[in-house]
Amino acid sequence: MLSQLERLSCEVDGRYASDAELQFLTDYVQSFNLRVQTYQKLQEIEVALVQQAYIKMRSQDPNLFKNGAEDISGKWKRDTLRVLRYVAIAVLMNDPETLRERFLLWFQTIMRAFSAEKACNVTYTVLQEIVKQNLPAAQANLVCPILELTRRSLGTAS
Amino acid sequence: MVIVASDSSHPVKLKHPKKHNHYGFREFFQFDPDKGIITDWNGAQNLLTTEDFIIGMAEGLEEEVGDSAAAIMYTIGCEWGQKDAFFFEKWFEKEFDRNMRQANLLFLLETWWWPFTSQGWGRWEIDMGDRRQGFMFINIFDSAVARTLGDVGKPVCYLYAGLFSGFFTELVRKQLSCIEIQCYSMGETYCKFLLGGQDRIDAASFWLNEGATARDIEKRLRGGELLR
Repeated sequence: MLSQLERLSCEVDGRYASDAELQFLTDYVQSFNLRVQTYQKLQEIEVALVQQAYIKMRSQDPNLFKNGAEDISGKWKRDTLRVLRYVAIAVLMNDPETLRERFLLWFQTIMRAFSAEKACNVTYTVLQEIVKQNLPAAQANLVCPILELTRRSLGTAS
Repeated sequence: MVIVASDSSHPVKLKHPKKHNHYGFREFFQFDPDKGIITDWNGAQNLLTTEDFIIGMAEGLEEEVGDSAAAIMYTIGCEWGQKDAFFFEKWFEKEFDRNMRQANLLFLLETWWWPFTSQGWGRWEIDMGDRRQGFMFINIFDSAVARTLGDVGKPVCYLYAGLFSGFFTELVRKQLSCIEIQCYSMGETYCKFLLGGQDRIDAASFWLNEGATARDIEKRLRGGELLR
């Protein structure tokens, strides 16, 4: 929403915006309460979400948490928690663009440096399933597209 | 564009000194309109320039020194890369609390290049698959020089080649040279550089003059071919 607002303020320099150009603002205002509820829900259950994802992933493939001989479960949990917080703010602000520009583009290169694309792909696939199980449908429908954006950014090799 | 200055206060950095994802335009740069200066996250002073600057620099240099312009840009790049290696070593250590030689190499290199991406030099991709054979490839997407000059039918990214040569020579403490083997300014979609010992660069240069493509050069080097 903020990126869209900024773009709009450049485009409408010296004129009034059309109804079509203002639609995103109307949509945002209408979705605002739901976004705040979703944000607060994510804040409330973030640890549980990450833990459930961890258990599910570990049962599928424990090697996802190994970097050579090193167990990277702790690092995975810290990173995933952080990403989830960035996802939450993107949901609140309806601003996947800023998430992409200020976080995902950078983190993608770091994940590639550590060959973690496969783990990321699984993480953000599983998290979508976990979110659908833990959040009401309307809230999950806000979060899952952002998780999918995250999965596409972090989970695929170039 | 970067001029090294002393560490100045960057408000986001002061609040979150260990925020490693700080490469968005508004986070990386601090604009001080009163003093008229732009400082980046690592304390370097920056200048914003337009494509006209790049064109002026390239054409002006060619007018002054003709065919030597390429060599001069390469040399400037080498000195820049060398100085940047020392600058990078300091800020990397400060940010990650460890010596750069203790870090995962790919992570180190991605971290080195990110400020360049923020500054508009383009995104990169590094291929270290042939490192043990003593050479590697670097791809640059959206080279500032090539995108500005457009399709001029010849490689133009000498500044980048020099930068890689200077930086990596300092990093590995061995003399490395670099040559652009594919360029956006020759109609390609991205620029490709070969980094390695002089013998490999000479071989690539020879093959390029013979009309070899980047793919040919990759194949020959991986096959162990060299000039005799």
